[in-house]
Amino acid sequence: MTGTTKQPELLPYRKIREDLFRPLSGMTRKYFAAILIPLLIILFGAYAWTVQLRLGMGVTGLQRPVFWGFYIVDFVFWIGISHAGTLISAILRLTDAGWRKPITRAAEAITLFALMIGGMFPIIHLGRAWYFYWLIPYPNMRMLWPNFRSPLLWDLTAIITYVTGSAIYLYLPLIPDMAQLAAHSVPWRRKLYRALSLGWTGSDTEWHSLERAMKLMAGIILAVAISVHTVVAWDFAMAIAPMWHSTIFGPYFVVGAIFSGLAGLMIVMAAIRKFMGLEEYLTRHHFDNLAKLLLLMSILWLYFTLAEHLTVWYGNDPSEMAVFGVRTRTRFAFLFWGMVVVNFVIPFVLLGIRKLRSITTGVIASFGILLGMFLERYIIVVPTLSMTRLPAATSNTYTPTWVELAITAATFAAMIFLYLLFSKLFPIIAVWEFKPHPHEDEA
Amino acid sequence: MASVTYLLSEFHDKHAVASAIESLRTAGVSTADLDVFSEEPVEFPRGVLDRPSHMSLASVLGAIIVGGGATAFVWWSQNNYAVITGGMPVFSFWGTGVITYEMTMLGAVFATFGYFLWESGLIRKRDKTAPVPIVPPECICLRVRTAGEDVSRPTALLRAAGATSVEKKAAL
Repeated sequence: MTGTTKQPELLPYRKIREDLFRPLSGMTRKYFAAILIPLLIILFGAYAWTVQLRLGMGVTGLQRPVFWGFYIVDFVFWIGISHAGTLISAILRLTDAGWRKPITRAAEAITLFALMIGGMFPIIHLGRAWYFYWLIPYPNMRMLWPNFRSPLLWDLTAIITYVTGSAIYLYLPLIPDMAQLAAHSVPWRRKLYRALSLGWTGSDTEWHSLERAMKLMAGIILAVAISVHTVVAWDFAMAIAPMWHSTIFGPYFVVGAIFSGLAGLMIVMAAIRKFMGLEEYLTRHHFDNLAKLLLLMSILWLYFTLAEHLTVWYGNDPSEMAVFGVRTRTRFAFLFWGMVVVNFVIPFVLLGIRKLRSITTGVIASFGILLGMFLERYIIVVPTLSMTRLPAATSNTYTPTWVELAITAATFAAMIFLYLLFSKLFPIIAVWEFKPHPHEDEA
Repeated sequence: MASVTYLLSEFHDKHAVASAIESLRTAGVSTADLDVFSEEPVEFPRGVLDRPSHMSLASVLGAIIVGGGATAFVWWSQNNYAVITGGMPVFSFWGTGVITYEMTMLGAVFATFGYFLWESGLIRKRDKTAPVPIVPPECICLRVRTAGEDVSRPTALLRAAGATSVEKKAAL
């Protein structure tokens, strides 16, 4: 790890601005290569989807009785990742945690992109994606309305609210930075920043309004973020299916979402630090705090996993035990115990022992956690559907096909692509928020 | 009609700005005629340059209107074409509570954002004739709106409070 200024916020404002605006200018070959590779993977994923649209859902591994597979796993995974940003940023903003400042924008951008990606999956999973608009209540000839009691409709409203709120929550603190960027030398950028900054002048009326709006939005978004992943959990918990019909699924999913979101944030922050040369601004202190949060979430995740499985084991209900058995002892045991290792054992060692805790080990643990949380969603979705209450229907197993794998790979590529694009257009660290504010001086 | 003149003063210290605001207000200048410009938010002690706001109220009202409207629509649509629910009620707050909640939050989001745009003046420039100062880094600009050509008194107050420069500008 490189030596860094202990308090980068005490650097002169001019230097902070130059350092944070510098990555926006110029295009290097490395950047083009970095953006081209994900773009190719996205195009391949798009091709795979066109194959599915043309030939139908038969090209996927979905078959009786497993009708939910990788697409639903992807959906839950990405909605989980989205909790990295807005939720963490809102909590840290409301508690006025000073160390949040270089982290918030990068985190909020993750939320928006993850939601855009995750929100695609219910549509992809529909098969006949062109009928998506049937979910929207619109006056039609037969006066048929969507069934608002359906968790699918709950998902739709929750995601729309979260995407809208997150986009506004990301946009609001960008306004002052874009006003400063409006003097950019490149004409199209100048036009873009001028249009987006809405004629911001930096008057006290504008600052007061912005700070008030940010505080209110932080409170609202916190409530929405928790509800969104709870609603995703209820997609499962509302079904009377073994190991789904659980009252703790809501909080279990929220904890898992924050956990995976933090891991995603850790990786993104490390990448920004290294590739944008922001070592002076994203210090070991920030990673140390993130690592501690990650460790806390790892312990909480284990607690919920244990609570969920212990009650099932103790209840000894035959249908639940059938799923419990395949999860922990037979067909899916390798995935289950692998998940426990990467979600708890490795983070506990790497992040719990102070001597081992560093940016590199944090990133290693985070990659493991992302893998572990993907496995967790797979283990929740597939075994329950494989072990249906109808014995005759249990003969088939689910294996994802190349179409599902290509679309899944494309989503990861899309995240990288969108992030690279965003970091070239907007400062990844909020410049105006970075300096200590007057009330913090006095504190 | 008396001509309007603006004084653009530059400060390097927020305490000096606060002191200038207080002396100007004592001399009879209204807070509506004072504007502080800076690259980052500047906070003053309560009572110096308060900007009362109804944003929270707007947010709550937006939440109630959109949440209530959405619930009413769900109730109407479910009764308008009643699907077979196997003995369960056609409309139930348990079944549609999530929709109500999310739409309430969406209402709050829209109202907060809309009110921010309105209150900050970004979509409602209150005074297009007022000159906007270009704030140098690390500086704070105080703009004073005065009626009439004689600006000697406010200029003296600004300088006494610690303004490094005071510039007189006519309305645009």
